[in-house]
Amino acid sequence: MNGDVATLGQGPSPTSMDRQMAQCANEPIRIPGAIQPHGWLAAVDWRDGALVAYSENWRTLLPESGDLLPARIEGVLDPVRAARHAWIDGEGPVSCGTLVIGGRRLHVSGHRLGERGYFELEADVEESGNRAPIYSLARHLVPMMQRTAAVDELCRVVVAEMKRLTGFGRCLAYRFDAEGHGEVLAEALDGGYDAYAGHRFPASDIPPQARELYRLNHIRLIADAHYEPVPVRFVDGRDGTALDMSQAALRSVSPVHLEYMRNMRTLASMSVSIIVRGQLWGLVSCHDHAPRQLSWQTRMACEHLGQLLSLQIEAKEENEQVTEQLRLRQLTLAIVAHLADSDATLQRLVEEPGPLLRLGRACGAAVILNDSCWSVGETPDRETLLTLGQWLANRADPVWHSDRLALDVPPSLATALAGTAGVLAISISRLHRHHIVWFRPEIVQTVVWAGNPHKTPTTERDTRLHPRRSFSSWKEQVGGRSLPWTSGEVHAVQELRQALIGVVLRRAEEMAEVAMELGRVNKELEAFSYTVSHDLRAPMRHIAGFVDLVLEMEGQGLSARSQRYLAHVKEASAHAGQLVDALLDFSRMGRSAIKHASIHTGPMIDDLVAEQNAMNKDRRIDWVIQRPLPRLWGDPVLLQVAVRNLVANAVKYTRPREVARIEISAVEDETGVGLSIADNGVGFQMKYVGKLFGVFQRLHQSESFEGTGIGLASVRRIVERHGGQVDAWGEPERGARFSFTLPTRAMQEAQAPEGDAAAETNTDTHGSLSPGGAGAPRAADSLSPDS
Amino acid sequence: MLKPILLVEDDARDLELTLVALERSQLANEVIIVRDGAEALDYLNREGAHADRAEGNPAVILLDLKLPKVNGLEVLKAVRATEALKSIPVVMLTSSQTESDVVQSYALGVNAYVVKPVDFKQFVAAIADLGVFWAVLNEPPPGSLRAARRYE
Repeated sequence: MNGDVATLGQGPSPTSMDRQMAQCANEPIRIPGAIQPHGWLAAVDWRDGALVAYSENWRTLLPESGDLLPARIEGVLDPVRAARHAWIDGEGPVSCGTLVIGGRRLHVSGHRLGERGYFELEADVEESGNRAPIYSLARHLVPMMQRTAAVDELCRVVVAEMKRLTGFGRCLAYRFDAEGHGEVLAEALDGGYDAYAGHRFPASDIPPQARELYRLNHIRLIADAHYEPVPVRFVDGRDGTALDMSQAALRSVSPVHLEYMRNMRTLASMSVSIIVRGQLWGLVSCHDHAPRQLSWQTRMACEHLGQLLSLQIEAKEENEQVTEQLRLRQLTLAIVAHLADSDATLQRLVEEPGPLLRLGRACGAAVILNDSCWSVGETPDRETLLTLGQWLANRADPVWHSDRLALDVPPSLATALAGTAGVLAISISRLHRHHIVWFRPEIVQTVVWAGNPHKTPTTERDTRLHPRRSFSSWKEQVGGRSLPWTSGEVHAVQELRQALIGVVLRRAEEMAEVAMELGRVNKELEAFSYTVSHDLRAPMRHIAGFVDLVLEMEGQGLSARSQRYLAHVKEASAHAGQLVDALLDFSRMGRSAIKHASIHTGPMIDDLVAEQNAMNKDRRIDWVIQRPLPRLWGDPVLLQVAVRNLVANAVKYTRPREVARIEISAVEDETGVGLSIADNGVGFQMKYVGKLFGVFQRLHQSESFEGTGIGLASVRRIVERHGGQVDAWGEPERGARFSFTLPTRAMQEAQAPEGDAAAETNTDTHGSLSPGGAGAPRAADSLSPDS
Repeated sequence: MLKPILLVEDDARDLELTLVALERSQLANEVIIVRDGAEALDYLNREGAHADRAEGNPAVILLDLKLPKVNGLEVLKAVRATEALKSIPVVMLTSSQTESDVVQSYALGVNAYVVKPVDFKQFVAAIADLGVFWAVLNEPPPGSLRAARRYE
């Protein structure tokens, strides 16, 4: 398009072509050793003003000078020579007024580069007053530019103005993407010109050194692509290529570029650089089918317009960036606030999917914690997510992203991720595979190129590098890519990562504090029960002991009433002692570790029945034992305590029955397997069922039924510590039935934490929001009795 | 020539009950009473207030677990760590069967562990059994002193 050098010719062999391409990129465009013929160049020593080099066409301006030409050039430049002291090294040309030479009125501009001053002369065009280009810019255009809302609209205003200023047939504004391809944002054109709006120019059209020159020298005019270059001659006879013409308006351009222009049917072209934050952001480029000369004033106005455009783009982009940053930060805050309100486990993130997805402008997101994952929106399946998590874990960077996964991940993973082309991932832990991942779908884009960027030109006789010849539209489908992750988005997730790490760390500290507090309370409790067991039990013993001694030594001398009172004292102290013992047992049950084993309840029931029969020889008890009784998975000692309590209760509360009937059978439901013990005893009212299992809750007067009120509380505590459930049914004077179930071994093991944190226990379902634990649904197929 | 029984008990009422129980068990051994762990060690090592006592180890030490100054477990530990004392049978008497106490006592080499029953008759029976086993049936080590019983 507008590069000084255009590429894409071809050669006889790839090697030769590569070499020619490399040469193209190396073409010394700053030192062409020649100028365009529509003006005159004179280079002087910046210090003393002495002529150093000049273009050969001075000879036509100052004919018949012969060997005196350098001296005559110095002579005619004398009126403007002193202006050089005001020039700033490296800056573009400034006007030095006009000179009349050989009857021609010429405009002189000058600039300084290093130790040299450059005078460039060209035909002067009179422009003044309201028609001065620069005036119209300031008067009308700036307010218009400020009113535009978006960058492409701004570009449309500018290309229209640039076209009006220059009179060129076509004027385009385009922006370079990350790969250097130029995307046309706006154009203004006359009839007969091809439209390029929405097209892309391949990056190879402008080689790197041309881009660099665009960054330094903001305007470049080629008045006639058919021009004959005018050589530059040094006074001391050196080669003309010793003169750096980076800032010279008359600089001659590469012949390859002139060929490119002719292929494009463009005989005149002008480019104005758009520089944003010091980088070449894009170009405004004007073309005309016919040669076209522009006055100094017009060129200055165009350059000025380019600067205005640059500033406006910079301001608009910065505005957009600030707005975007604000938006992303608000989303980050919303996410973190939600998490901080919850238990701060990372899987809670998917409970508030809106901000999470908007933060990454993603179609789906997932939280991957080791071998568990939670997802929201459109994501790959669970297996793929876990594989992705494993792959991410091997990467050191805390933030990883790709908008073309197929190129960046192993082929097997890429295949599994089919349909997803973009991934943005942050790692939350250095020790664990804890990742939050956003997904973007593949977007198949149609890119319209101004000419096929991949095309290998047909063989030509000539082996010299030629620029491409076709500028007709060429459409390409670009697949395997997602929308790119912007630096703002990447930055935002980095911030989110920091915040999450903060929240997680804080929560971990809180947990540690709670654990410490729990440990302390536990210690206190232990000390308390130790004290109770030693200090409370001793007085009971003393009371009973001394009452015994009194009864034994003085019993004969005491009245019957005194003897009865002392018997009460003894019984009361004995009961208090039992209470203390029962309480201690109860608290031990809550603290001691459960040692699991497979328990055959058949023999256990046999032993307990025999025990009860031995203790109640005077009673008639019909034992109905429905075999087979199940095997249970639990602590044998604790379970025996629980079952003994239930059996002993049944025996105790059937005491008024002439014939007690106690039925023991297996139960099984979705909570597990267990035992049921039913009796025909005194029963209870169902409205008290809630009180039944509480410590010290008794439903009967102690005269009728002795007891500590701890038995059923112990049963419940034991069963619940196994993750099981207790149940009771009763009817006054009809009987009662107590049952319990324990989860089977398979259920208990499925629930047991496998990882290092409670947050990682839920491995059952993909996308499930429910945390693991006792409340988690149990699989219906694992209900068979433990075997 | 019966060796004495060393009873280490801080609680006055427990002490009295234990002595009654010992009395009823018809043991002929003298009962030496000390009221805390430090005094027990003084007696055993013939130090402090007991520096002048005659030589010889007791037949058995009835040791309460919860004692002022030096507790029962510490006394037990010291006895087992002292060459001259380590063969003395030690019976731990305690108010309750707290699991950690039992485990620690056995780990430290206790010979028997008795939870004092609330029922006095059971208590007398337990003390009598202990006394008979440790003070009578066990072969008295040489050098034991015959002494009159204090409570008769």
